[in-house]
Amino acid sequence: MAKSTSVDDRRLVPLAKRLRPSRVVLNVVLGIVAIFWLVPTISLLVISLRPEALFGQSGWWKVFTAPSQLTWGNYAAIFSQGFHTGGVLDSLMTSLEITIPATILVALISSLAAYSLVFGYWRGRDIIFLVIVGLMVVPLQVALIPVVQFYRELGNLFGLNPYGTIPGVIIFHVAFGLPFGIFLMRNFFTGIPKDLLEAGRIEGAGEWKIFYRIVLPLALPAIASLAIFQFIWVWNDLLVALVFLGGNVHAPLTIFLYDQTRSLAANYWIVSTGAVVSIVIPLIVFFSFQRYFIRGVLAGAVK
Amino acid sequence: MSSVNLRELTKRYAGGATLSLDSMNLEIAHGEFICLVGPSGCGKTTALRMIAGLESVTSGEIEIGDRVVNDLPPRDRDIALVFQSYALYPHMTVYGNMSFGLELRKVPKDEIKAAVTDAARILDLEEYLDRKPAQLSGGQRQRVALGRAIVRNPAAFLMDEPLSNLDAKLRVQTRAEIARLHHRLGATMIYVTHDQVEAMTMADRIAVLNMGKLEQVGSPRELYDRPANQFVAGFIGSPSMNFMPLLVENVDGAIRVVSAQHHMDVILSDAEADAIRRAGVSNVVLGVRPEHIDNQPRRDLGLEIRASVEVIEFLGNEVHVHVSSGDDELVVIVDARTPLSIGDTLTLSAPSDGLHFFHPETGVVLR
Ligand SMILES: Nc1ncnc2c1ncn2[C@@H]1O[C@H](COP(=O)(O)OP(=O)(O)OP(=O)(O)O)[C@@H](O)[C@H]1O
Ligand SMILES: [Mg+2]
Repeated sequence: MAKSTSVDDRRLVPLAKRLRPSRVVLNVVLGIVAIFWLVPTISLLVISLRPEALFGQSGWWKVFTAPSQLTWGNYAAIFSQGFHTGGVLDSLMTSLEITIPATILVALISSLAAYSLVFGYWRGRDIIFLVIVGLMVVPLQVALIPVVQFYRELGNLFGLNPYGTIPGVIIFHVAFGLPFGIFLMRNFFTGIPKDLLEAGRIEGAGEWKIFYRIVLPLALPAIASLAIFQFIWVWNDLLVALVFLGGNVHAPLTIFLYDQTRSLAANYWIVSTGAVVSIVIPLIVFFSFQRYFIRGVLAGAVK
Repeated sequence: MSSVNLRELTKRYAGGATLSLDSMNLEIAHGEFICLVGPSGCGKTTALRMIAGLESVTSGEIEIGDRVVNDLPPRDRDIALVFQSYALYPHMTVYGNMSFGLELRKVPKDEIKAAVTDAARILDLEEYLDRKPAQLSGGQRQRVALGRAIVRNPAAFLMDEPLSNLDAKLRVQTRAEIARLHHRLGATMIYVTHDQVEAMTMADRIAVLNMGKLEQVGSPRELYDRPANQFVAGFIGSPSMNFMPLLVENVDGAIRVVSAQHHMDVILSDAEADAIRRAGVSNVVLGVRPEHIDNQPRRDLGLEIRASVEVIEFLGNEVHVHVSSGDDELVVIVDARTPLSIGDTLTLSAPSDGLHFFHPETGVVLR
C-alpha cells in the first residue's frame, strides 16, 4: 500500500513543478550528498572485485576505464575455504549466531516489559521506567570487568561460566540492549488506545492474547526499528566480542576483519571482501524490515 | 433471561474526593432499551464500565441474568460494549474485527462465517468485509463496531455515546438503525448519551443521572410530563424548560403565587395550592416549557405573562422567541406565521397543566 501511494505521489507532481529551479537545486544537492556518502562503500566493493595484485599498482577508480579488471576471484577464494574454523564463512555464522538471538530476545523482552509498564496495574511503574531510562546512560565499557567477574562467579557457584562462550556475549548484548528497547517500546505502546485492549478483554482475550493478537501487530513498526538498531549494533560490535569471547576459536566477522588488518602484510583482498560480506547481511535485514515502516498503522482504530 | 440489576452501585475512583457514582439502583428488564443520560461528568460512563467489568465496584451489586457479576472478568459477563471511539482493531479487516471475539471463544469456523455474514447483511457491510477500518467512513466504522457486538449475541448490549462522532444527519439515520436493531434482536440495551433527544427517541425508559446520583427513571413521556425535580425538568426537552422564582402569599389560608414585578398572573389549581401549602415555603420555582407558552388566547389558562421580544430565532416550522418579563428571561415557541419584531410587547399564556412547581432549595417537584 505504501508503495503504490508513493508511485501515485510521483505521478501527481506535475512535470512543471518537478522542473522548478528550487526543486532541481534540491535534487542536485541531495544527489551530491548521496554520492559523497556512497564513495567509501563503492570503493570497497570495487577493491574486493579486483585482483589482489592490482591493489598496490593503481587506484580502484581505474576500474572505470578498464572494466575487464573485475573478477569474482577474491570471493571464490574466500568461499572456497568453506565453513572451516577461522574462515570467513565460519565468522559469518558466528556473527549470525550472536546477532539473531540477541536481536530477537531484546525485541521480545522489551515488548513484554513495556506492555507491563504501560498496561499493567502495579505500583511503581513510573519509577521503574525512570530507572530503566537512567540505565541507558551507563557506558558499556564500565560494565565489562564487573560482568566478566560476575560470569566467573557463576562458574564457581554453578559450574556454568558464560565467559568465553557465545551465550555469554548474547547475554551481555541483551542486557545492554534492553533499556533502549524498553524505552522505545514503552513510548510506542502509550500511543495505543486503551479502548482497543478493553475491547479485546470484553470479547474474551486474556493478557497473552491481547499482547500478541492486538498490541504486537500494532507495534510492528516500533519492533522493526528496534530490531534494526539492535541488529546493526550487535553485528558491528567488536569490543564486547573481544572481551567476552576471549580465546574462543569461533570469532564473529568483526574480530575476523580486525585480525586480518593486524597481520603485517595486511590482506587487503580478504579485508575488503570480508567487509563487503559483512555489509550484505545488515542490508538484507534493513530491506526486509523496511516494509513495516508504514506510517499510520493505527489509523482507523478510534474515531 | 438477561435482565440487569444494579443495587446500591457506588464508585469512588482511587484518589477521587467525591463519589463518581452514588448508590445507584436500577432494574433493567430483559429486552429493555434503557438510556443513561446526564451532563458531562455525571457518571454515565462509569456506570457502564462497571457493568462491563472494566471498572471495579466500590460497593453495591451488579446482577446480569440471575448471577451477581461483581467479581467476574468482562469476558465472562456475556455483554458487548460499543465504544464511543469504536475501538476497532486497525490491523484486522472488517471480517477479522467481527470474528475476533468468536474466534477467541473457539466457535467453529463455519458458524463464525455464518454469524459475520448475517451481521454484515443486517448492517449493510457485506462489500466491506475485506477492508481495514482505515479505509472506511465514520459511519461504516460505527456499523462495524455494532456488528462486532451483535455477532456475539450477548445477553446485553452496552453502548457509550456510539453516535457522538457522527455528523448530524448520519446520527439521525444510525439512531433509527439502532432502534431497528433493538426490535430485531430483542436484546437488553443500555445506552449512554448526553443527548436527551437520542434518549427520548430511542429509549423504553430513561435514567437521568446528575453528579453521580440517579435523579429519575421513567419512560420518555413520564420524564417529560412529570419530572420529579427541577434538574430533570431542565434536562429533558429542548429548548429547556423556563424557570421563574415566584413569591408565595398566604391570604387567609388561600395560597397565591405572584411574581415580584407583577409581570405575570398564575392561576393555581387546588392540588397545586395544596402542595405548596404543605411544603410550607415562601418561594417556589415555576417551570414551564417553551412549547407550552404562546401568544394564543386559551381556555384552561394557568399562566399569563406580559413580556417584550428580545431575540427571534426562525427555524422554519416554528420560531423560538427570547422574551424578557421583569427580571425573567424566557424562551417561547410560537407559530412561524406569527408576525413579530424585536421590542414588541406580547401577552403570552400557558395552560394550567403545563405548569410545574419546584421547591426553591431541594428542587423537588411540588404536586
Ligand atoms: N479513571 C478515573 N479516575 C478518577 N476519576 C475518574 C476516572 N474516570 C472518571 N472519573 C471521574 O468520575 C466522574 C464521572 O465520570 P464519567 O466518565 O463517568 O462521566 P460521564 O458521565 O461519562 O461524562 P461524559 O459525558 O463527559 O462522558 C467525573 O467526575 C470524572 O472526573
Ligand atoms: Mg462518558
